[in-house]
Amino acid sequence: MVKFGIEFVPRDPYWKIIYYAIQAERGGFSNLWITDHFNNRNVYVTLTTAAIYTNKITFGPGVTNPYMVNPVITAQAVATLNEMAPGRVVLGMGAGDKTTLESVGVEMQKPLAAIQEAVGIFRKITSGESVAYQGEVFKTAGAKFLFKPKGVIPVYVGAQGPKMLELAGKIGDGVLINASHPKDVEYAVGSVKEGIRQSGKSPDQVDVAAYTSFSVHEDLKKATKAAVPVVAFIAAGSPPVLLERHGIDVQKTEEIKAALKVNDWGKAFASVTPEMIGAFSVCGTPDLCIERINELLKSGISQFVVGSPIGPNVREAINLISEKIIPRFKS
Amino acid sequence: MDYRKIIDNVSVLKREGLSTKLIDVILLSKNDDKMPSQLANTILQQWQQDTLLTESGLTALLEAAVLLEPVKTVEALTALELADIAGQINEATVKT
Repeated sequence: MVKFGIEFVPRDPYWKIIYYAIQAERGGFSNLWITDHFNNRNVYVTLTTAAIYTNKITFGPGVTNPYMVNPVITAQAVATLNEMAPGRVVLGMGAGDKTTLESVGVEMQKPLAAIQEAVGIFRKITSGESVAYQGEVFKTAGAKFLFKPKGVIPVYVGAQGPKMLELAGKIGDGVLINASHPKDVEYAVGSVKEGIRQSGKSPDQVDVAAYTSFSVHEDLKKATKAAVPVVAFIAAGSPPVLLERHGIDVQKTEEIKAALKVNDWGKAFASVTPEMIGAFSVCGTPDLCIERINELLKSGISQFVVGSPIGPNVREAINLISEKIIPRFKS
Repeated sequence: MDYRKIIDNVSVLKREGLSTKLIDVILLSKNDDKMPSQLANTILQQWQQDTLLTESGLTALLEAAVLLEPVKTVEALTALELADIAGQINEATVKT
C-alpha cells in the first residue's frame, strides 16, 4: 500500500508548519519531510517541534546535504531526535543544490563519493561505533558519541541523476526522487532498481518516494495558479534533456530563467505553459490528482510525497488530500 | 481587550465556523512576525489536544487573528454575522 508523505519548507515559521503537521498526521499521512536550506529557518529546530507535537508520523530532514553540515553533526542531531521520538525518525540525505552551496563558498565536490561516505559515517556512528575513516571527501579519526544512540535510523537518499539514483538504490533504505511526471519517475526507478539489484537487497526493502510539486483544489484554475511559481523555478532549472523528454520548448524556459534573474515574476510566471505544469507538478482537482498518483504508482513508487505548494490554501488542501485522495489508496 | 469575554458571547452554533475562519486568517497571514511565540505555542497545544473549539481555544485564535490581521478578522466576523463582535474589535483596533 502506498504511503503518503508531506513536505514543508521552513521559510514559514515553526507554528504554521507544526499546525499543518498535526493536521497531516490526523489526516493519514505517514511521513513528514522538512527541507534544509541555510537561508530558511533551521530544519532540526522545526523537526524537534514536530517531535513534541506529533505522536505517530515519521519525520526527518528531506533532504540535508553533507557539505554544509559535517555528517557526524547530522548524525548527532538525528540520533538526538530519535531519542525524543523513537522509531519515528529518518534521515534524508542528498548532494544539495550547487548554486546555494556556492553562495556560501562551499564546493560540491565528488557528490557520489560524498553521499556514499556520509551515509557510511552516519550509520556507523549512530550504531554507537567509533569511526576511523579515510575517504575521498570525509575523514574521521576515531569519532564516537559519548552517548548511546537508540535504534537503527533509516536513510533515504535524495537523487536525480542516473548515477546518484543507482547509488541511492544501492545504499539507501529509501530513495527520494525529485519528480512529478510518470515518465521521469519511471526513468529514475529504472536506475534505482539497478542499484538495488547490485546490493542484493529485495526491492521491497527500499521505500521509493516520488517527491512531487503538488497542488490540489476543487477548482482546477485555482490549483494551477498556485502551482505556477514553483513550476517556473523547476522549469528554469531543468536540463535540456529533461525538457526535451516532455516536448518543452527550451527557448521558453530561457525566457523564464531571464525573467527570474531580474525578479520579473509577472513575466516569468506568464511564460509557464500547460506542458510545464503537466511535466513538473501533480496539479488539479482531487480526481485529477488521483489519476496522476495512480500513474506514478505504476512506475514503481511506494511513497507519494506532496510537496510545495500543496494547494492555494494549504489547510484546505491537506483536508482534501486526507478526505478525498488518501482513502482511495487505502482500500 | 477581553477576548475571553467576547468568545463567551459567541453562540455554540457559530463556534466551528468561527474557528475555521480565524485559523485561515492566521495561517494565510504574511505578518508572521507579529505572532507572540507564547500565543503560538498555546494554539499548537490546543490544536494538538483538539480543543481549538473550546472557549480557551477560540480565545487564543481570536487574539492571534486580531494581532496579525485586524482588518481581515473584522471582515471574517462580519461574514459570520457576528456584527457585535466585529464592531467591538473594529472599535478597539482598526480605528486606533
